[in-house]
Amino acid sequence: MSDLLNFYGKTFNSRLLVGTALYPSPAIMRESVKASCSEIITLSLRRQNPAQQQDNVFWDYVRESGCQLLPNTAGCRSSREAVELAKMSQEIFQTDWLKLEVIGDDYNLQPDPFGLVDAARELVQLGFKVLPYCTDDLVLCRKLLDVGCEVLMPWGAPIGTGQGLLNKYSLQTLRERLSDVPLIIDAGIGAPSQAAEALEMGFDAVLLNTAIAKAQEPVLMAQAFKLAVESGRAAFNAGLMLRRQTASPSTPTLDMPFWQQAESMLRE
Amino acid sequence: MTSESKAKIAIAGGGLLGRLLAWRLCQYDVNITLFEAGKLSVPQGACWTAAGMISPLSELVHSEKQVYTQGLQSLDLWSDWSRKLELQGGRAVGFRRAGSVLVAHGKDRSELLQFLRELQGKLGESAREQVQVLDTEALRDLEPALHSFEQGLYLRGEADINNHRLLPLLLDVLRLQGVQLRELTRVNCEPWCISFPGGEEHFDCVIDCRGLGAKDQIKGLRGVRGEVMVVESREVVLQRPVRLLHPRYKLYAVPRSDGRTVIGATEIESEDLSPISVRSSMELSSALYSLNPAFAEARIVETRVNCRPATMNNNPYIHNEEGLIRVNGLYRHGYLLAPAMVQQVENQVAQQRLLVF
Repeated sequence: MSDLLNFYGKTFNSRLLVGTALYPSPAIMRESVKASCSEIITLSLRRQNPAQQQDNVFWDYVRESGCQLLPNTAGCRSSREAVELAKMSQEIFQTDWLKLEVIGDDYNLQPDPFGLVDAARELVQLGFKVLPYCTDDLVLCRKLLDVGCEVLMPWGAPIGTGQGLLNKYSLQTLRERLSDVPLIIDAGIGAPSQAAEALEMGFDAVLLNTAIAKAQEPVLMAQAFKLAVESGRAAFNAGLMLRRQTASPSTPTLDMPFWQQAESMLRE
Repeated sequence: MTSESKAKIAIAGGGLLGRLLAWRLCQYDVNITLFEAGKLSVPQGACWTAAGMISPLSELVHSEKQVYTQGLQSLDLWSDWSRKLELQGGRAVGFRRAGSVLVAHGKDRSELLQFLRELQGKLGESAREQVQVLDTEALRDLEPALHSFEQGLYLRGEADINNHRLLPLLLDVLRLQGVQLRELTRVNCEPWCISFPGGEEHFDCVIDCRGLGAKDQIKGLRGVRGEVMVVESREVVLQRPVRLLHPRYKLYAVPRSDGRTVIGATEIESEDLSPISVRSSMELSSALYSLNPAFAEARIVETRVNCRPATMNNNPYIHNEEGLIRVNGLYRHGYLLAPAMVQQVENQVAQQRLLVF
């Protein structure tokens, strides 16, 4: 069965997107990306003073991975900053794909919904394929779609916390209400089980960095996430059973009186 | 080696590696020429920018075990070599083996646990013996200036060296020992041959320690930007290097004997030598302030920026062929690894049958 992802008219096999920061070394980063089987990788230009450099060996190294590059605007605090950095990234990496981040709070790096919509509107008009990093607020997500984003990236939890899917209720709402929009859970994923859960809930993909890069064995962790994402997606496609309050043996219990069985069925 | 004359050895690059290696080779009966692109009295490499920490344990969490084992070797070598250097040069190099302290604010306590866990993951149970957990009182006794922290870790075995004393002293000693110093000479290194604009010279062995100057000859060598600030405070005096663990900002503060403290260092994937950014200076300052608010009145007396030469796996690079040895890629571990690397090169020069006592 073909089960491809489709973002902005481009198809992908892998439902795991990874970052390129925080690794012990570029070599381990590249090996981990390979082990994750990711086809889309994010990277940051912020702080690197791109205007100053003709060549950057690290960027070349990332480019050599052959993955779709998704430059990000990490660290930008206003839409103006984000738009300028986006233009610079486009020039350097020769791609109009962009992970848009506009940060509204310094401590938990929470997205600024207002700046985000402004920046997204402007960047879409400039021809960017914008993948915004947003909160799990339904109305915000709708506004981002209204200004022309085709893919959204709601957070699971604040960046780098590894808390997993903190607000499952609103994430579930997003999934149900925006059923035909590609949704990627971005940020907050700390364990493969959490990634699997996101996929089981029907999210299209997950994006993460710290959980792999900061593991003691990043390459092995990348592999673990790859398996978890595949497993979660397969489970979603297979259709999860509903949760039950009481045990329900898969073979009839002969010694249980009929009326008790009826009672337990009613309780469900 | 010809029987009628001494072996001629060229060292390219007058940074920490080049100087240390030249000094070590002085004990053999060889002719040494040290080439430097800039001026030796004003070191331009990362060795001058660095804070001079020799901390195999603290660094282990973000490096491979090789860095740790070579770091331990270097620690022992430093205590021996610094004594010898002080005797020869007649003044102190500021080698201090007083351990180092790691702290985290209450909210970030998990960073200390994470550090311990990673250390145990890499060293097994022996990690426990090398790390002492400090409560408020123990911490206050050890580092009175860190009185507001509830807990910390003490890495007893770690050390640091005052590079702003060491490097000039090494230069003086090289002069005394008759090493030929060729400043303001940008060179290329080939087997048995040093070439420079307008000429070339032949040697029995060429040792390339040029750091980022060797970028064209070493594939995958890159520069990683680092920024440090030097502050001066009379109120807050630290006794030893202190590291602050924080989910996003990493800070070390290394006190010097003159009341100054070197704080650093950022790590940015970029070969950019422009001055320190406002953001980096804010991060460093606020992290310093959080160690002890009295640092707010410290004076920023200097900022320094440089690029560390690093390979793609961030491990040191050593290449050995007849007539040419290249050492490079010490990354953020210059003082931690230099002695061990220099000793390795010494052995390789010996293998090329050039060294006779």
